[in-house]
Amino acid sequence: MTSLSTLTTTLLQPARQTAQALFAEVDGARAVVIATADGFDLAHAGHQSIDPARLAAMVSSVSALGDAASRETGIGTPRYLVIESSDGRLVVRCMQVQEQALVAVVLTDKSVTLGFVLSHLSKAEQLMNAA
Amino acid sequence: MAMTQHKIVFSGPPGAGKTTAIAMLSDIPPVVTDVRNTDAGLGKELTTVGLDFGQADLGNGQCVRLFGTPGQLRFDFMWRIIATDALGLVILIDNTRPDPLDDFATYLDAYADLLPTINCAVGIGRTGECPLPTVDQFSSLLAERGLAFPVLPVDVRRREDVLMLVDTVLIQAEMRT
Repeated sequence: MTSLSTLTTTLLQPARQTAQALFAEVDGARAVVIATADGFDLAHAGHQSIDPARLAAMVSSVSALGDAASRETGIGTPRYLVIESSDGRLVVRCMQVQEQALVAVVLTDKSVTLGFVLSHLSKAEQLMNAA
Repeated sequence: MAMTQHKIVFSGPPGAGKTTAIAMLSDIPPVVTDVRNTDAGLGKELTTVGLDFGQADLGNGQCVRLFGTPGQLRFDFMWRIIATDALGLVILIDNTRPDPLDDFATYLDAYADLLPTINCAVGIGRTGECPLPTVDQFSSLLAERGLAFPVLPVDVRRREDVLMLVDTVLIQAEMRT
């Protein structure tokens, strides 16, 4: 059984609150997952059909690939990654919370404005750091 | 002379030395996707969550592109993505882990449909610290599944050992043509 580090477990409660707030505030959100950079699901909210553990691992990989691409091309560190698909979006925010790298992802349908999701994800990072 | 490019994938459980092996052989600074590990049971600071990438010129017009997979089972979706269109697969096992044969079986299951046709080599690491299971036991596990690949004790911190694994894969590919 996997045991999260002490630092990570202190983030569980703020992560739960943030995931629930994001899901409630973003109309058209189907799921929200907040995960460690190495792919552990800290908190999630949304529809049962999404496996949060699997989504956490996938978003961790995508985020790390984005980070590697940014580093290799000299454009710094990624803040957002967006997967724009035919029926919806995955919007990922790369966060630093209490010196811990986290990723937050919102899975939305097509109706949601991208800027709206980005602003809510930015606010979520601020809230987690203030918690 | 035209350069022939081959794709070889390094896979195996966490800590088996995939990132190290690629770094040992690569002529370019490897692309790494390591992040801080938060799994207290894993016992290491960083872990690969995306992929590793390196490239090595083997001379004679042959270049290998080296890809490494993440080790943890939760990243199994990346294993198949990375292995797509690979000429060969190197499975690395850390013999100091609690159940190396079970680790090996996990990867044989994950790549079961590829193994009958892909060129494959198996490297068993840290056999000096943990001589059991033996190379023969790993070979027997392969035989139970109707497979026969070279199983070699390796130290992936030694470039020649990593090169031997890659060479083993390339020789198999050559023999198939």
